Amino acid sequence: MTLRNTPDSFGLVSRILHWTMALMILILLPLGLRLAGMQPSLSTLWLYGLHKTLGLTALALVLVRIIWHRISPPPAPIGPPRAWETRAAKAGHVALYVLMLAMPLSGWIASSATGIDVMFAERWVVPPIAPVSETIDQVGFAIHGILGKLLLALVVLHMAAAVKREMEGDGTLRRMIRGRA
Amino acid sequence: MRQAIRLTCLALAIGLAAPAFAAPAAYVLEPEKSTVGFETDFGPDRITGSMPVLKANLSLDFASPANSTVDVTLSAAGAQASFPFATQAMRGPKVLDADANPTIHFVSTRVRPSGDGARVDGNITIRGVTRPVTLDARIYQQQGSAKGDLTHMTLRLTGSVKRSDFGAVGWSDMVGDEVRLDILARVQKAD
Repeated sequence: MTLRNTPDSFGLVSRILHWTMALMILILLPLGLRLAGMQPSLSTLWLYGLHKTLGLTALALVLVRIIWHRISPPPAPIGPPRAWETRAAKAGHVALYVLMLAMPLSGWIASSATGIDVMFAERWVVPPIAPVSETIDQVGFAIHGILGKLLLALVVLHMAAAVKREMEGDGTLRRMIRGRA
Repeated sequence: MRQAIRLTCLALAIGLAAPAFAAPAAYVLEPEKSTVGFETDFGPDRITGSMPVLKANLSLDFASPANSTVDVTLSAAGAQASFPFATQAMRGPKVLDADANPTIHFVSTRVRPSGDGARVDGNITIRGVTRPVTLDARIYQQQGSAKGDLTHMTLRLTGSVKRSDFGAVGWSDMVGDEVRLDILARVQKAD
């Protein structure tokens, strides 16, 4: 079992980052959708803190992942490089990374603009990255919501594509689970 | 104050009933024994809190409440709510905007006797906006003071304001518009 990626296999670090991020997104998206439509109360206040803590963790993880993939580049997608599926997969992955960065950043910006401290793990105050402003607050959360729905759609597409490829037997999904196709 | 004592002495000396000579007397607030409390609705729950009193000029006449005047300055910047998010939200620009308006000011315009208490009409300034408000006052002697001893008194004032009247509309989808006030003021006759 190797930590690093090779030209045709995913190392342990990339796989752990992938599946941890998958789990975070699958918790964060429904939690965020729930929070957006919820009347807050004292008993549910901790869920906002949880969403922010997980979101900031996800931001840290995606940064680690981007840096790691500079150090240890992931294998190229399986399949002929010029096929439309391969190009679509590449574009989809780029979009996923953009959204994995834009989601926590837009949430952090909008939260900063409310003037209420963003807390990590209900313990540490996270510095604001935007001035207190009603406009930034409203526009920020609106963008956060739209990006969330985009991410949800892309995640569904990503999962469907992985399952389709696995059913066709090219080993795309297996490679992300076991390392090798 | 000295005048009040002199008047009282005079009244006793010439055998008249003291109330006929009742005059407003200056009282000082005992801040450590007083609280300016508030509460508002937060979904099924309530947010509670309190605000420090910066200054209180109290001229009270318990025999003829109508002669009383009250002028109180509260610290919006020092207001505390029951949990940290609420404190920050409340002091922030969308509610009290405490950076720009660090104080809340109340000045009475009329005090009317009502039952065994009084109704205090006045103007309250929140967020730089002044609106009339009426508080219900109940007057108590403090524990341990002799009957008729008016040197240590407890006042309980209740009332409410609508924060939308003052432009303090932040989080109005989550937090109630009506803010109920419950003020417990322990006062001591100035000497």
